[in-house]
Amino acid sequence: MTEDRYEAAVAHPEGRSTVARLASTATESGYDGLVVRNADAVLAEDPTITDGDPPDHADAGEDYDPEDDGGYLRTVTAEYGVDVVSGVEIDVDDPSTAAGRLGNVRSRERTDYTVVAVAGGSEAMNRFAAESDRVDVLTRPLRRAGAVDHVVADEARDHGVRVEFDLSPVLRATGGRRVRALRDLRRLREIVLDRDAPFVVSARPDSHLRIRSPRELVAVGEAVGFDRETVEAGLREWGRLAGRNRERAGESFIEPGVERGRYEEDDR
Amino acid sequence: MPLPKHLRPRWRYLAVRIETWPDADPSRKGFQRAVWESARALLGDPGSADAVLEVLRYRFGGGTGEAVVRVRHGEVSRGRAALACVGSVDGHPIGVRVVGVSGTIRACEEKYLGETPGDPDHEDVVFGDGTRPAVVRGAAVDVRDGHAFAGATPIDLEDQ
Repeated sequence: MTEDRYEAAVAHPEGRSTVARLASTATESGYDGLVVRNADAVLAEDPTITDGDPPDHADAGEDYDPEDDGGYLRTVTAEYGVDVVSGVEIDVDDPSTAAGRLGNVRSRERTDYTVVAVAGGSEAMNRFAAESDRVDVLTRPLRRAGAVDHVVADEARDHGVRVEFDLSPVLRATGGRRVRALRDLRRLREIVLDRDAPFVVSARPDSHLRIRSPRELVAVGEAVGFDRETVEAGLREWGRLAGRNRERAGESFIEPGVERGRYEEDDR
Repeated sequence: MPLPKHLRPRWRYLAVRIETWPDADPSRKGFQRAVWESARALLGDPGSADAVLEVLRYRFGGGTGEAVVRVRHGEVSRGRAALACVGSVDGHPIGVRVVGVSGTIRACEEKYLGETPGDPDHEDVVFGDGTRPAVVRGAAVDVRDGHAFAGATPIDLEDQ
């Protein structure tokens, strides 16, 4: 099990800073790893791909390695000493569209991204994500208030879906919006910890200026009712998840013929 | 008359590094105001009064800066939390990082601060779909992107 702490960020073009800049700041801030939530958009605009063609996943077959795509993420890892993890966050309004996207990026045999997340927020999307064995993380479950109850938390636990404690409104919202976010976050924390559902913690930075160090997030968490261990465990969980999925990808993709790893069984 | 020693407040000094986009130049006054507003919003009046959070040293130039912030002994974690929630100064986004904690101002400055970054360079770089003006500060490359900037590093740039 890893003790490393990871942050999960939105990079350029959807965020304001490139993966490299986020990684550079993450290292300085004491992180060991960085999950790129929008590796799909990043790799489509890979600065090292000069002819403008986005990488074609379909042709790569079983040798496909999401973190070797165009070499960019791997180059950043080497340059800044922070483990850069390819991720995708499926952010759509309805479960059937989400199911289609999910099928495109991950099947039993292969995964295009090391971490696959589904952005929640509505009751239907939270439930869909929590019930999907192929989903690693249910992110932003509180975008619309009150949509995680004990039933969703139980499903998340049973299907190995991490529920995200998104600290970004604590850090960046003000006034009544922040008060509501804090109220919802408290309720979420009580439900998730009570039902023993797995979880991750993030400040969801979308620029290098919005990265806050692990110690800062622990302090912010403590100010709003999280204990230190919960925040630290949530930052480590991203790394643990990345490690587990890479191991599975290695088993099922690099050695065809050997029993293929499945996303729905054993080590959740 | 000074207070008897056991009644004097005991302090911790937070060494803070800050960073902005190149078009911002946050003043000491603006930074202090932002810290107090953040503390008050997060900790409330009593909590923010307890933490104190006074900016004692401050300098900023070329997109980066540093400060020493005094916090009451025993309130370091809450002070750190309030600083983490400072997201902008005078409307400009700001990155804030506590790099160390000391028992004296001098130790705080000597141990953690004192980096004097040179003036940033202004260059044209090839980023994304074309050549654009950028502000370069070591490994930090802020590329002009419409009315805003994109944060990049040298490995994001194509050779010209």
